[in-house]
Amino acid sequence: MNKKYIAVLVMMMGFLFSCSEEFLNKTDPTVLVASTYYQTETQVEQAVNGVYGQLQPLILNQWQYNEFITDNTTLDFNVGNRGQGPALEAIEFWQINAATPNITSLYNSIYQAMVNINTILAKMPAATFSDERKQQFEGELKFIRGYYYFLLVQYFGEVIIMTEPLATPSEAYAFERQPVEDVYAQIESDLNLAASVLPVSYNALNKGRVTQGAALTLLGKVYLTKKDYAKAITTLNQVLPLGYSLLQDYALVFDPKNKNHAESIFDIQFQGDNLLGEQSNFIYTFAPRESAGAVINFPGQNGGGWNIPSRDIIAAYETGDLRKDVSLKEGYTNKSGAWVPVPFINKYNHPHTVLGATNDNWPVLRYADVLLMLAEAINEVSGPTSEAYGYLNAVRSRAGLSGLSGLDKDSFRAAVLAERRIELAFENHRWFDLKRTMTSDQLAAFLNAYGLIEKSNPTTSRGGIPFSSADFQFAPYEALFPIPADQIRINSKLTQNPGY
Amino acid sequence: MKHNYLLLKPLWFFLTMLATANFVYAQSRTVSGKVTSVEEGSAVPGVNILVKNTTTGSVTDVDGNYSISVNDDAILVFSSIGFASQEIAVSGRTTIDVALVADIQSLSEVVIVGYGSQRRADITSAVSVVNMENIGDVPATNVTRLLQGQAPGVQVRQTSGRPGQELEVTIRGIGSLGAGSQPLYVVDGFPVGTSIGQSLNPSDIESISVLKDAASTAIYGARGSNGVILITTKSAKEGQLNLTFDANYGVQNIPDSRRTKMMNGVEFAQFKHDSFVDKIRYFEKREPSIDEVPLEFRYPEQTQYSTDWFEEITNQNARFQNYNVTLSAGKGDIRSLVSIGYLDQEGAVIETGFKRFNVRANVDGKINDFISMGWNIVGSNSNEKYANTDGRDALIGRALWTDPRYPVYNPDGTFLNYIGGTNGVFGAVNPVQEMHEMDRNLNTTNILTNGFLQFTFLKDFKFKSSVNATLINSAQKEFRPSTLAGTGFNLPPPREASLFQRSFESLNIAADQLLTYGKRINDHSFDGLLGYSVQEETAKSLTATGNQFPNDEVRYLDAAIKKNAGSSEASWSLLAYFARANYSYRDKYLLSASYRREGSSRFGANNKWGNFPAMSVGWRISEESFIPDLAWLTDLKLRASYGVTGNNNIGNYTSLSNMRPENYIIGNSIANGQVLARFANADLGWEQSKQTDVGLDMGLFDNRLIFTAEYYNRVTDDMLLAIDIPVISGFTQTISNIGKVENKGIELALDYRTSVNEINFRGNFNISFNRNKVLEIRGENDEIWNGGFYSVYNVSKVGRPIGMLHGFKMIGIFNTDAEVAESPTQDGAIPGTYKYFDANGDGVISYDQKDMIEIGNPHPAFNWAMTLGADYKMFDLNVLFTGAQNYDVMRNIEATTMNMDGVFNILQSGVNRWRSAENPGDGRGATSNTWKWQRESNSRYIYDASHIWVKNISLGFSFPETTALKNARLFFSAENLFLISDFPGSNPEINRRGGVNPGVDDEAYPVPRTFSVGANIRF
Repeated sequence: MNKKYIAVLVMMMGFLFSCSEEFLNKTDPTVLVASTYYQTETQVEQAVNGVYGQLQPLILNQWQYNEFITDNTTLDFNVGNRGQGPALEAIEFWQINAATPNITSLYNSIYQAMVNINTILAKMPAATFSDERKQQFEGELKFIRGYYYFLLVQYFGEVIIMTEPLATPSEAYAFERQPVEDVYAQIESDLNLAASVLPVSYNALNKGRVTQGAALTLLGKVYLTKKDYAKAITTLNQVLPLGYSLLQDYALVFDPKNKNHAESIFDIQFQGDNLLGEQSNFIYTFAPRESAGAVINFPGQNGGGWNIPSRDIIAAYETGDLRKDVSLKEGYTNKSGAWVPVPFINKYNHPHTVLGATNDNWPVLRYADVLLMLAEAINEVSGPTSEAYGYLNAVRSRAGLSGLSGLDKDSFRAAVLAERRIELAFENHRWFDLKRTMTSDQLAAFLNAYGLIEKSNPTTSRGGIPFSSADFQFAPYEALFPIPADQIRINSKLTQNPGY
Repeated sequence: MKHNYLLLKPLWFFLTMLATANFVYAQSRTVSGKVTSVEEGSAVPGVNILVKNTTTGSVTDVDGNYSISVNDDAILVFSSIGFASQEIAVSGRTTIDVALVADIQSLSEVVIVGYGSQRRADITSAVSVVNMENIGDVPATNVTRLLQGQAPGVQVRQTSGRPGQELEVTIRGIGSLGAGSQPLYVVDGFPVGTSIGQSLNPSDIESISVLKDAASTAIYGARGSNGVILITTKSAKEGQLNLTFDANYGVQNIPDSRRTKMMNGVEFAQFKHDSFVDKIRYFEKREPSIDEVPLEFRYPEQTQYSTDWFEEITNQNARFQNYNVTLSAGKGDIRSLVSIGYLDQEGAVIETGFKRFNVRANVDGKINDFISMGWNIVGSNSNEKYANTDGRDALIGRALWTDPRYPVYNPDGTFLNYIGGTNGVFGAVNPVQEMHEMDRNLNTTNILTNGFLQFTFLKDFKFKSSVNATLINSAQKEFRPSTLAGTGFNLPPPREASLFQRSFESLNIAADQLLTYGKRINDHSFDGLLGYSVQEETAKSLTATGNQFPNDEVRYLDAAIKKNAGSSEASWSLLAYFARANYSYRDKYLLSASYRREGSSRFGANNKWGNFPAMSVGWRISEESFIPDLAWLTDLKLRASYGVTGNNNIGNYTSLSNMRPENYIIGNSIANGQVLARFANADLGWEQSKQTDVGLDMGLFDNRLIFTAEYYNRVTDDMLLAIDIPVISGFTQTISNIGKVENKGIELALDYRTSVNEINFRGNFNISFNRNKVLEIRGENDEIWNGGFYSVYNVSKVGRPIGMLHGFKMIGIFNTDAEVAESPTQDGAIPGTYKYFDANGDGVISYDQKDMIEIGNPHPAFNWAMTLGADYKMFDLNVLFTGAQNYDVMRNIEATTMNMDGVFNILQSGVNRWRSAENPGDGRGATSNTWKWQRESNSRYIYDASHIWVKNISLGFSFPETTALKNARLFFSAENLFLISDFPGSNPEINRRGGVNPGVDDEAYPVPRTFSVGANIRF
């Protein structure tokens, strides 16, 4: 009797204990596993697409650091909701400190994207597909890496250079900030490689990828920023024969119906009017807070009231400048028919069919920028030559303005800077243009002068709330952003920029 | 055995009668009566009746009747195993009926422990048994309510009054910074998880054991760290056939004393008026003319409407109904119990409520002499009409800050669909309209079943094979019509209608194989257990959202123009081998050891397996011969334990690096992209708690007084924690085994029962002191900050308890410009703003965390509870008090309701705010002239939340037994009756963020007071 039971038991136990360790290996069925990724062409291509994709959130917020902080734009002050004080208004009013959330997110987002570039570059050699395709991917990735380091060095000065993925998080503590020259050396190396391997153009299926022209334009900008004018000229000259041209109509440069046109060199691509999640929404951020459908083509839709064109930039437009009406509006007519004098950026304001999903691309590099950079570089080397005038006046003439002439070197430099401000208004060039053409002390004096004007006659109503004494006080050290406090807290070897 | 016993009884009775016959002449009377049980109401056979200080005695017969001849002044002692003995003076009576109270704490009582049971006397670890009798007639909708106040070291908090809500249970403190501190719930041997959910019917519960130390929980390995709660459901009583019917009906409301007093319409208009005038006075240094004041609040006393939005969204007469029918048949080899239950709880907030229907069948018994079996199956279906109530911008918060100067309804009876939004006050949705017009439903079906077969062989061996499964299905639907204003600020209707639907299913299966051996040879008693356990859980969900509906009537996805859907699946698995051995010598020296080796799918490839050993010893001193045979000392036991447990609540795939989609547009069409989602961590391993426990159990006066004292020290190491890492690695955080936390404490429990004449008293008091400390956070960061600048930080740093409240220290209110000027710089400060302490002494209060310091301790110095009970004849009374002492809660909601911007309605006490140097108010409210330096996380909003709850009072009346009716009892119960506290919020137990971020009050579903009446009837 008992024996029979034991036999049954042994059988049962044998069955039940037969579960192998395989039972304990579980992976998330809803996502791909990283350890086995980057092996095929499709996988690498998708990883490269992912790197492009990470440019979108960066660009959606870049206005804060390149326009909002400057004399170009201000805000539609929100008396009621002061919630954005420390994150956003700190940037507008130059009250940035090491804990300012939106500076932290800027710094973080760049390195969070960089890891994907470095991982693909490290793993791609072992993948099984043609070297030709690998070379193209390498060029695209290195361009984007060069772009990121160029942003980092301009925002933060000395930064940590990462070119390899880490095996464990603890290795990260060994890295320190590198001298600005070394950062530039890394940028130049990446962009030179990109310029040498990337194609001049792509077929329609691949439009939007980085081209040789983009790499050369960015490299030219890097040299210009380093004040290496000779190299800037030779590099930018190489862009000229690549087939780019100024569009006749300035408005068409920003029209989503006309994406990736002859003037566009590198745009961040977005797609609206659908639910694919790849839309832009610039006008939702930039439209006045209480515009209630008067700006955005949906009933009752308000804007964020951020990045509002300042009185200062509105006044900077010459009479008859065709660009003014494209770039900004000085107010809007509300539902009850009243004129509301809250200006807003109009470049990215196009009708769209799906709420919150605009179709506007963002121009990062375009041909007008190349011409103005060349004019600037030539002037620095040889003064205002006719070649330099040619480039500057080509841009002016498209805007319906007469050509300039008879300027000395300094006033030509000022004229180029002024032209850049208007031509490239609200395209995230202003902060770097000011920093490139001024010392920190000059920048501080310049901005403080602007701040005084804005304080005495604010572009938008303050709703009875006075400025605080520290608003619009720019100190020279603020030309560089602080390294985020969180990063220094977890890695005490990390140094802070002076002043913070 | 049973038969023999029953046959012997009359015989014994007869012999006793004979033996005492010769005294009959000397006794003056014969006393007779019937002995019943208080709990069951049924007759108790075999009760010994002894005339005190004599050898004269008697025994009750099978119907519980007895008869004895005694002197008029004799005292009768009634005693029986399993019942507390009772002494009753005859005082000349001839009929004495006695109701015996079950002696739950009796030493021979069997206590459910992990994978088995043990005699209470043999237990050498820290196990608390919840005494169901002590709980009273609470209107419990969730099983966790039964734990409240019942066991020392088990903190049960009702953080919200949401109907059907599971309460927050923490055993011996917060044990983890990153992996959760909820205990493991085990239902009839099935480890269901760290949440018991809402499906179990409290009236189906037979007993609850709480395993607190490592010696008792290590057998559950990587899930034992935070304690284990073992729930056993009812089964039929052997030899009995019962049909019971329980009903409970009540009403719930929010008492006035637990409401936040906001300004009414006139007061708020006056506030708006005054703040307008004050601004001109301060900034323009002049007196404004009456015409300058906006018309809406120019004459505050003429304000037309005044709405108390909180009053409008609460139901002052919310119904509570609960009915249960149980049939249990315990005659024969196979015993069965079936029950059905129905609960219908309306919410104290309008348009919310919880309904649940339960059915259960528990069957167990013997197939033959070698095989026994048991099979439980329970199904429940619940439907919750819920609302988004918790937090400043959810219903309750909004009901406080919404402009009171507007009516609920338009003159035509329709809802006023937009409240406020004028002269700077935030426009908001009408809370009453929102509650009426939204559809929010969660329907959950839960089936839990477990069965076992047990084979007895070779005399002392048993093999038990059990299979457990829970199947949960839920469907959630939420529709927000276009008629409602937006949930944010200033979003007037109509808005885009939206629909959210989610269906969820999970299957959790486990199988255990247990081989047990038990043997007693002379003075040596040994039992052993070998086990093997497998468990796997898979959860799947499908979610969809719809937007842009052509109308508000058709509330289904098909009608939506914009649709979005997603699905997901996740699973985990574990394998474990375990063993346990108990040995005792002469029931005096006790030794127990257990070991578990467990593998989990959740851990890194290099750390899949963990080992969890434990050991405990006990010494029953009272059994020693050198202890004199003291009449008052029934039992004295000293015990100690040590063991290692784990915590695997880290999410399912945390150790793996995976990709996530990040798409782009190339060639004007979508280009699928993938980026890395997080760091791989193959070394991710087990969080280990090493716990030492020393306990003393003492039973005095026949166990009428039972005292338990316990000291424990639990150190959790290799704590699983999301830590900040340098972002240059590509990620800002990773989960890592980093850090160490200590919880140590003392628990005392005292239980006393006595009978004075016919009154049975019982009292239970327990108190626990837990001290929590972060010992180590390894790596480069030594502090963990959670929270926000405007919403208080919970900070865990080395040397301090977890989650201490951090913010600016408010040291007063600036009264003059001169005072602002001579104080450390606070940019933008003007007279009337808060003055903060310059903690780092650099002369500047910077607008960041640099000057923020510890401003509050959210951990109570001690928690206590007391249950008092008494029975007198047909009446019974039970009272529960619970309390917690010396801890702080941040009334974060006051950063809004004391925000003088004029965008929110404010507290009535805001009338005493700072208005001018001459009129500085009560020093508790800032000026209305600016927004800065008043809303930041600061000590002004910290309150002592020490409190005493009169949690429940139950009063019952039992009718005498009849042939048709074994037991009939009526009761009245008052739940959450009374709160004694200086805390200004409605609930000092609120814990909005939970876990490692305790002590924050942003308002939550208010906890109602419930008055109910009910009946228990047994046939």
